[in-house]
Amino acid sequence: MLSILYDSTFEGFLSVVFEVYRQHLDVGDIVPDRPYDSVSSKTADLFMQPFRIETSEESAKRLTRAIVNKAGEDVFNLLQTAFRSEEPLVEMNILAYLRKLFAAESPDYAKNPASEEMLPLLKTAQAVRREAGNMLGMVRFDKTQDGMYISEIEPKYNIVDMIVGHFRGRFPNGRWAIVDVLRGYGAYYDGKHTQMVEVPNPAELSKKIAAEASSDEFTKMWKSYYDSMAIKERLNPALLKRCLPVRYWKHLPERRQNLSDVTIGSGRGEARGDLGFGSSSLPSVVAQRNARFAALGKS
Amino acid sequence: MCMLCPEGSQMDLREKLNILGDAAKYDVSCSSSGSSRCAPKGGLGSGCSAGICHTWAADGRCISLLKVLFSNACKYDCAYCVNRRSNDVPRATFTHKELVDLTLEFYRRNYIEGLFLSSAVIGSPDYTMELLIKVARELRVNHRFGGYIHLKAIPGASSRLLFEAGLYADRSSVNVEIPSDSQLQYLAPEKNYESIYRPMNFFAERKLEYNSEKSRHLPRFLPAGQSTQMIVGASNESDLQILKLSSGFYKQQQMKRVYFSGYVPVNSDKRLPVITTKPPLLREHRLYQADWLMRFYKFQYDEILDDTNPNLDLDLDPKAMWALRHPECFPVDLQTADYEMILRVPGIGVKSAQLIVNARRFSQIRLETLKKIGVVLKRAKYFIYHSDTPASLRRLYPEMLRPLLLPRPKSAQLDLFDSAPMLLPA
Repeated sequence: MLSILYDSTFEGFLSVVFEVYRQHLDVGDIVPDRPYDSVSSKTADLFMQPFRIETSEESAKRLTRAIVNKAGEDVFNLLQTAFRSEEPLVEMNILAYLRKLFAAESPDYAKNPASEEMLPLLKTAQAVRREAGNMLGMVRFDKTQDGMYISEIEPKYNIVDMIVGHFRGRFPNGRWAIVDVLRGYGAYYDGKHTQMVEVPNPAELSKKIAAEASSDEFTKMWKSYYDSMAIKERLNPALLKRCLPVRYWKHLPERRQNLSDVTIGSGRGEARGDLGFGSSSLPSVVAQRNARFAALGKS
Repeated sequence: MCMLCPEGSQMDLREKLNILGDAAKYDVSCSSSGSSRCAPKGGLGSGCSAGICHTWAADGRCISLLKVLFSNACKYDCAYCVNRRSNDVPRATFTHKELVDLTLEFYRRNYIEGLFLSSAVIGSPDYTMELLIKVARELRVNHRFGGYIHLKAIPGASSRLLFEAGLYADRSSVNVEIPSDSQLQYLAPEKNYESIYRPMNFFAERKLEYNSEKSRHLPRFLPAGQSTQMIVGASNESDLQILKLSSGFYKQQQMKRVYFSGYVPVNSDKRLPVITTKPPLLREHRLYQADWLMRFYKFQYDEILDDTNPNLDLDLDPKAMWALRHPECFPVDLQTADYEMILRVPGIGVKSAQLIVNARRFSQIRLETLKKIGVVLKRAKYFIYHSDTPASLRRLYPEMLRPLLLPRPKSAQLDLFDSAPMLLPA
């Protein structure tokens, strides 16, 4: 059994599949090189032999054509979207689907949503698309002193280039950049073209942006506007967290300061206190209990 | 000194924004959907027809537009409104430049999808409407703004102004607020249904006119249509009346949405529920469920409620309520039933119904197929028929089913230090 290593791009993965077919390889696992992903890149399987496959544009193109001919453009897009999830098993799932697809006799197989191989891919692709859609609203630009707008995001999936087109259509005249601080790269738009840029040291960039943005009057106004929009009689922290998961709060100026309440609470984002309003109800309950306990001890 | 804002002209922008945002927050509508637009040449901003939520407030409501009043110095005295003339609240009025700058700066930082502009009535309805239109015009014409604009139509404004508003805005709305004319006139003496229906009908007619002429060069008129809002629980209408009214709005005025807002007591007034009343959140939720049934599940209002049951059941959702009243339609055979009938099964939504219809072309639908494709069977299992159903379960007995569908009471941990003695059931 082989544990196949590749460069973590989609072309790289297609080349892997191509070679698997060409050389009749016995695949046990497909492992991408991702420095930020601790699970996939640092654990090597003791019982598998590592085997590296280099990316070849030519073979990626040939496989793309084969998939599109057999299953259609939309299935190919689905596979590509599912691949963006970067989940540990996604490569093997796609490989399983492709094997069935190329072996299948009935033309129905390609699009059957309930088939054993298609279903997990469909679910994954859905999750990726959902995050990309939500991210359109959750990107927050900070204005730098030279008039550029820069945004840091930390999405779960690798979706930067899925959202760039939207922002190019929306801000065609400004200069802006969206940086994925987790993956260390981003998209930069100079007023005419977008290009992908490497960001070798995201932490430093974050610090720089934070220093420049702290004096932005409009960010402060947005924050206080946001707080005034909540109707106190209807507070609903559970609903809030369902709609706006805590993992995104770090890069949203309007919720950033609430982040500490949640993590101090009880570990994994389970704080009970009211979110968004200063006084938390939790400490008062604890104090009440302690007082009662003390009274019991005396009697 | 500004005539409109005697104390407001020195007020700083942040303070104004807080007052006027706070005053607008009881308006429920926040959607930015229904209108798709590329950024105008040399400008900024686009429309996304699915709508984009930018953030969620602490009460779990989405914030997608900068929702503010132009001014909250109202000359009306509606009992249910926080901005009524007789309330002692801080008053403020934006200047056009302030509001335009705020919108553009927020938009550039991707905080918002556009502007939702409403206003208290100052001077006359026409004068107020002109103030609102001027903001929209400045954004659209001077700044070439392509983002979303939702403009409130002020009841009593002239047709000329309403028409101009329709040219700049993506969506417009007039709020009914109280679901019957007599109650509205009782609670808001300066308003009546006639003045509210007139702008609604005007928009609906103009939009029809525009849609009948298929010319690319015609400027677009309210591409995202219109919506309205009703307060639930401030007056004594039944749910049937509310649904009937909103069904009429969907059919006659081609409304895109009718919103419901559970009454949050903001004023103490003898015509209204007492100030300590909790907002009827569950009733509001049930009304939205019924509204969804009308919009996406092809239900008619009189199927959901009738004169013998004029109110929605708070324990059961309206679809389950309908199913229990029609045992003759169930169980539904998923392999052969129409899409419309599958949609009517409690627990199966639009997405699941489409998945089922898609998947049954390839294979027999079995219980595990349903589980696999993600159909939630918690409630649906009582109403469907598939090849695994035992013969004894092929009839539906509503009286047996009802208790199974009700939510179970939550188990709670008893308090160790509670001083009150616990009452054990005999």
